[in-house]
Amino acid sequence: MKVRNIFFVLLMIFVVLVISIPTLLGAFGTIPPEHLRSIAKQYLFLSYNPYNKSLWSASPEVVAAIVWDYRGLDTLYETMVFYTAIIGALMLYSEILGSKDVIGGKGLSFIVKRGTAIVLLAILAVGISTVLHGMITPGGGFQGGAIMAVAPIVALIVFSRTFLDKSKLTYAHFISIRSLALLGVILAPLIPLISNAFIFQNQAKSLPIFQSPIFFTYPSTIIDVPMGGLIAILNIFEGIAVFSAFALAFMILLYSEELSRKPLEGEDIGY
Amino acid sequence: MSTVISFIENLVFIIMGIIATTSIIFVVLAVQSKDLLKTIIFSAVQSTLYALLLFLLFAPDIVLVYVAVSVGLLPLLSILLVKKVGRYEG
Amino acid sequence: MFLVATISLYINIAVSMYGVIAKPNLVKKFIALTIVQDSINLMVIMMGYKLWREVLIQPPILLNWNPTPEALREFVNKAVDPLPQALVLTAIVIGLAVNIFLVSAILHLYRHFNTVNMDEISKIKREMIVGETA
Repeated sequence: MKVRNIFFVLLMIFVVLVISIPTLLGAFGTIPPEHLRSIAKQYLFLSYNPYNKSLWSASPEVVAAIVWDYRGLDTLYETMVFYTAIIGALMLYSEILGSKDVIGGKGLSFIVKRGTAIVLLAILAVGISTVLHGMITPGGGFQGGAIMAVAPIVALIVFSRTFLDKSKLTYAHFISIRSLALLGVILAPLIPLISNAFIFQNQAKSLPIFQSPIFFTYPSTIIDVPMGGLIAILNIFEGIAVFSAFALAFMILLYSEELSRKPLEGEDIGY
Repeated sequence: MSTVISFIENLVFIIMGIIATTSIIFVVLAVQSKDLLKTIIFSAVQSTLYALLLFLLFAPDIVLVYVAVSVGLLPLLSILLVKKVGRYEG
Repeated sequence: MFLVATISLYINIAVSMYGVIAKPNLVKKFIALTIVQDSINLMVIMMGYKLWREVLIQPPILLNWNPTPEALREFVNKAVDPLPQALVLTAIVIGLAVNIFLVSAILHLYRHFNTVNMDEISKIKREMIVGETA
């Protein structure tokens, strides 16, 4: 039993005591809280209020309105962080990125292949439905994208890699789909700047500081269902971007060992 | 009517307490196991208990993200890593 | 009983943080790191709950598409806090991006040093440095 393990155990007991004693003495207020904060009440009151249309966002789901309308810039930067992490993971293997694998495979048995082909369509349908209903029920861009991302990974394992190499779907298609979706996420909130509006503007706010002759606003209902203007469009773009990002990352990580050692060949000199 | 509501509220709190106490056992088992495949499976069970706790806390958006990411994608990534790197620690 | 749930969440954070620091295998450090991230996100959402006071509370989603002003005021009184849920959504996505990058870095380290044990990697590096500067 090393000395440093005993020291770490004592450190962890100290951490538990430091967090839990202020909680018991009332640092977070009463547990559980009795009243909501005043800013939460403002968001709940203003988000779908057809009587006071000066600050509303036309979506009855308050969490989607906060994520894409009231704090939209945070979501834009989070999308950029995700994009940079996937690009960084791809750059480590940039030599072998589009090449065909050297080991041939046949995939799993016949029953598994036929059963998986039916289930994959169901997974894609559930994911697309979650993305498109993001402004009325719980759901949205990232949730639907993560559900849809299971489908290409399962397809890559059940049908083998040679089957996918023979088809015409290469990594370059996924990268171009992803870049176009991200371009849509960046350009769609910039369009209301030509009229009297802010960036990430959902409905036109009637404040007296804007003087512009053009009046442009995103629509607030689709036939008779509240749409939330910009929120439905951004959900679709974000779902496509997340789906192609996960497909790319797993296509790189599932190469065979022989081929993945090729970018390391000249590194035995240094450390 | 108000006694029925306070009875339901106490029941919900008791279920939350039982789930949170059970998840401590799985975290301790996951950290001290020597076989890395068992660690991954204990971590997936603990994520399922957390998803039930999130449902009882009235957060439906977070449940969709959490089940898709932490019970689906992360154990898959970890099993891929264990296959290439080596199954037993030490 | 809500207090018991909060204290057990703190114990979860401490035990998995011990797993990150004290175990020398890189894959176990990675799995314990995901447990730490999940526990801290759950703690943030627990601070946004609301005590039931004679009413049945509901998640922050409006179900009535043509609300009267009384229905709107009742919704404000009954709903749970929506702000921590929006912030935790962003935090989960960023944590997932960092995890995917960490997995490809661990694979790259394994292919270079042929082991995933931190003690042995530092021993190999020390021998290389001593061998080169001698």
